[in-house]
Amino acid sequence: MPKKAIWLIILFTALFILGINTGDLEYLMNLGNTICLSCIGVG
Amino acid sequence: MVALRWLIQTVVALGTNAYLLFPWGSVIYQGPLKAICHPGLHCYSCPAALLSCPVGAVQNFVASLRYLTPGAIPHLGAMVVGYLGFIGTLVGRLPCGWLCPFGFIQDLLNKIPSPKFNLWAPLRWLKYGVLVVMVILMPFFLLDQYGLGQPWFCKLLCPSGTLVGAIPLIALKPQLWTTLGFYFWNKFTIMVVIIILAVLISRPFCRMLCPLGAFYSLFSRMTLVQLEFTEGNCVECRACVRVCPTGVSPYQQRDSRECIMCLKCLDACHFQALGFGLRRPVPPPKEARSHS
Repeated sequence: MPKKAIWLIILFTALFILGINTGDLEYLMNLGNTICLSCIGVG
Repeated sequence: MVALRWLIQTVVALGTNAYLLFPWGSVIYQGPLKAICHPGLHCYSCPAALLSCPVGAVQNFVASLRYLTPGAIPHLGAMVVGYLGFIGTLVGRLPCGWLCPFGFIQDLLNKIPSPKFNLWAPLRWLKYGVLVVMVILMPFFLLDQYGLGQPWFCKLLCPSGTLVGAIPLIALKPQLWTTLGFYFWNKFTIMVVIIILAVLISRPFCRMLCPLGAFYSLFSRMTLVQLEFTEGNCVECRACVRVCPTGVSPYQQRDSRECIMCLKCLDACHFQALGFGLRRPVPPPKEARSHS
């Protein structure tokens, strides 16, 4: 298996876990729970 | 393979838009699944959407860095970048070909009988500009009248947001009509242009403008899986080129950034010159082997 891919998978898994531990999950949850006014094109 | 891909695209499109209570309950789904990003481009403001949009999430994370309060932990979006990078390293642009609802819509539109055209190749580079400028730089540097960063890709360009987010929402909530302005009509025009182009050209949005496809394509040369090519079996009949929805020549271009791994070329090849599997280390050139 390519070493580069394995290292990248480890790096991105670590980033993912870091994000969860710094509250990204809650932030994303709040974000996805509100109607995105940009998608409606308010302005 | 083609039938399997259609089936998976249909199941994913329906399965990730399975919130059917929107006409009666809250206008959009607000449950715990909204903390998960869709692997494809799909607006989280679609009334039936269960998952979040990864591109919208990244922009909002970037924009949030501008109004940090002292002592607050910055949300860098590491979770979303890690998630997308993990998928990209594992399978590259395969989600574009198999999982993206907007890609699926474009595939369906391209089925409409009409003259078909090729995309002018240099336009493929636009998507990298969209990724850097509209998804990263603009949300960080360009502030609105209230001093806040905005998800400018969603606001100015995303046709998926207009098609599955804005239009159903304004149909469900007529009071939103009063809020529509330049941004809506700009994106509505872009959506109409993309729809017309998708009838005439295969996957125009994915190939020209999609920042998610651009991000996944960065991993095309280091993915864990790859399209395999057996040179000895190839008779250069170009059957694979004719069926490729993104204009790739699988027998000439290895690990193309444009390849969405739809695997149509595998079905088209009658000489077993193409395959799909785990990436194998490239053997050293013959000269190097003879010297050692």
